[in-house]
Amino acid sequence: MKKGKARSVFIGVCVLPAVILFFIFMIIPTLNVFRMSLYKWGGISNNKEFVGLSNFKTLMGDTNFLRSFQNTVLLIVIVTIVTMALSLIFAAIISREKIKGENFYRIIFYIPNILSVVVISAIFSAIYDPNQGLLNSILGIFRGDKDPILWLGDKNIVVYSLIIAMIWQAIGYYMVMYMASMASVPESLYESADLEGAGKVQQFFSITLPLIWTNIRTTLSFFVISSINLSFQFVKVLTRGGPNGASDVFLSYMYDQAYTNSSYGYGMAIGVIVFLFSFGLSAIINVATKREPLEF
Amino acid sequence: MKRKLMALLLTGAMTATMFAGCGNSDEPAPADDNKETPAPASTEDNQAEEPAESEEPAEVEEQTLKVAAFAGGYGEDMWNEVAAAFEASHPGVTVEMTASSQLEDIIRPQMQAGDYPDVVHLATGREAALTETLTREKGLLPLTDVLEMTVPGEDVKVKDKIIPGFLDTLGTNPYNDGVTYYAPMFYSPCGLFYNAGLFAEKGWDVPTTWDDMWALGDKAKEEGIALFTYPTTGYFDAFTFALLSSAGGSDFYNKCMTYEDGIWESEEATKVFELVGKLASYTESSTVANANGDGFTKNQQLILDNKAIFCPNGTWLPGEMADAGRADGFEWGFMAVPAVNAGEKGVSFTFFEQMWIPAEAQNQDMAKEWVAYMYSDEAAAIFAKANAIQPIAGMSDSLEGDNKLFYSVYDNGATAVMGGFATTDPVEGVSMADSLFATVDSVVSGDTTVADWQASVEETSDKLREAMPE
Repeated sequence: MKKGKARSVFIGVCVLPAVILFFIFMIIPTLNVFRMSLYKWGGISNNKEFVGLSNFKTLMGDTNFLRSFQNTVLLIVIVTIVTMALSLIFAAIISREKIKGENFYRIIFYIPNILSVVVISAIFSAIYDPNQGLLNSILGIFRGDKDPILWLGDKNIVVYSLIIAMIWQAIGYYMVMYMASMASVPESLYESADLEGAGKVQQFFSITLPLIWTNIRTTLSFFVISSINLSFQFVKVLTRGGPNGASDVFLSYMYDQAYTNSSYGYGMAIGVIVFLFSFGLSAIINVATKREPLEF
Repeated sequence: MKRKLMALLLTGAMTATMFAGCGNSDEPAPADDNKETPAPASTEDNQAEEPAESEEPAEVEEQTLKVAAFAGGYGEDMWNEVAAAFEASHPGVTVEMTASSQLEDIIRPQMQAGDYPDVVHLATGREAALTETLTREKGLLPLTDVLEMTVPGEDVKVKDKIIPGFLDTLGTNPYNDGVTYYAPMFYSPCGLFYNAGLFAEKGWDVPTTWDDMWALGDKAKEEGIALFTYPTTGYFDAFTFALLSSAGGSDFYNKCMTYEDGIWESEEATKVFELVGKLASYTESSTVANANGDGFTKNQQLILDNKAIFCPNGTWLPGEMADAGRADGFEWGFMAVPAVNAGEKGVSFTFFEQMWIPAEAQNQDMAKEWVAYMYSDEAAAIFAKANAIQPIAGMSDSLEGDNKLFYSVYDNGATAVMGGFATTDPVEGVSMADSLFATVDSVVSGDTTVADWQASVEETSDKLREAMPE
């Protein structure tokens, strides 16, 4: 009994530093965001005015915010679906098939992930250049000398231009994650499937996918969080929200309001919405994708 | 990302402490040869006069002055040099200089923690909007008594050294109440830049009216050259301000800047909106796609490559594009914005950076002394070496080369326009810069009509008027 107590004390002392740090650096700032969203405040001085939920009321009628909301949702949905599909396919090919230069492809796909977003943005800025850009030059072969497509200057295209850059950046990372879990699927399952006449595609859907399901579920939450965070960096460097706010996303609009427009409290209200949204979305995804875990 | 931010902060802190070190050590790198205290020969004159003229007591009191200065295109060296010169002429004072091009990232967290610099040099109109935020929060010290102070080491009052006109605008009196809160620092005329070589080569005349402008635009179009481009819509501030002032005079301009009811739907404002709308149709077709943080130099490059003729900008442009390739025979040309009404003079908006004292500053007296010192011949000469020109009468006479051309725009008859929008309390989700300037992208791409643009500006103006301080 006494030994048990000493053990608890020891465990308590061991986790205490982590708990304190977590509390100071995670819990308190998060609560602060919630608290500050109730104030009208410029962000520097002590002149704060408590305004209750007024910031949220204004938000609901702010068409610019709603547009950034739409853009973010579009980004999350498309980036998640396309990236997941492509990285699963590539992962399956590289880990299951005997292809030459397997490691070479693995590295090539992973490289975008070690580049900073600023570098990637510069690369895509060059690709999207209307006059000398790679994309328009190639399309020019088929389209002839028509007006160049303004990849970053057309309000209907600009979000998709961001999406392409984000997918390119993310594929390698998720591919490596899927490959890791695919490697642990026992080879014998595939052998028996082969003997029973199942094709490669059927093997993928009946064996690979169900057996790495837990891993896929985890990455879905990653997709939501990283799409929200990375889109801010891409927007900041590549478009600055332009043309005329057409490519604004959650966090770029939040920055715009909290700093450029001196409405820190309002910015925090946007932060609260982003927090609740990403939390809620991850929870929904988690519940919707829940399956009985398969043992192997 | 977090790690990067951390690294940035640490670098910032290191830089700051390094400068603090520079301030009181005996080896301030760029400044030691002419302004160091222990070198009696070179500083004897200054030292001998200083104590007699300024009312420093003989027993000097040790004090520290914390200066935060934005060091953009003009560099950091001049700030360190000025700090050293200030220390030399003010015994007992140690200047803690924080000069950086990312100044907001360094001082904002400090200010939030209650640690304010004593004096800050940071212009309005930047993305982080620190100056505007503090202004909106009424966190500035009035500089009225600084204007009445005698410039240290001289026998002239500060206000008498500053070029007339610089102190009467919303650019220095942000609340439009006649009280000066910003000291006007380095100024730069804004206007239209072009390739003078192209005009010589084609035998074109530089247009002085908008009718000539359109005629030139049609002529150039046949040769595959667009009339106009712009770096980003942010540059429409100086350009639009010049047009507004030209369309309706300075009274009208001030009414626009203070959000008077209906002013944006007036006849004069309509002329400006329609003019920009027409200019949009003469704008180089890829401009909008590059009008962002990463691509704006590509738009500026259009001028160097003879793909577009005019680009609104400030005098820092040639420096910014110094290393860029250019067409044969390229030569910078600069002109004021042609008048909106036929027969009147051209207009040029004067951009200037601002220095201010936070109301929370600890050492306000010395901060005021520092601001006054900025207008001394000694300080102005140090700044001028880096091409940073103070609004002191006669300062622009000594300029050479391209700069001489740029700063002589007012001597050649252009009307000067100064000051931007009046400061209001923050209105959530509403920004004049978004309504009036950012929308230009949509007008150029054809997604917004001029009439809708005008209506939305008036709507924004209505909302901001309600937030004007009493």
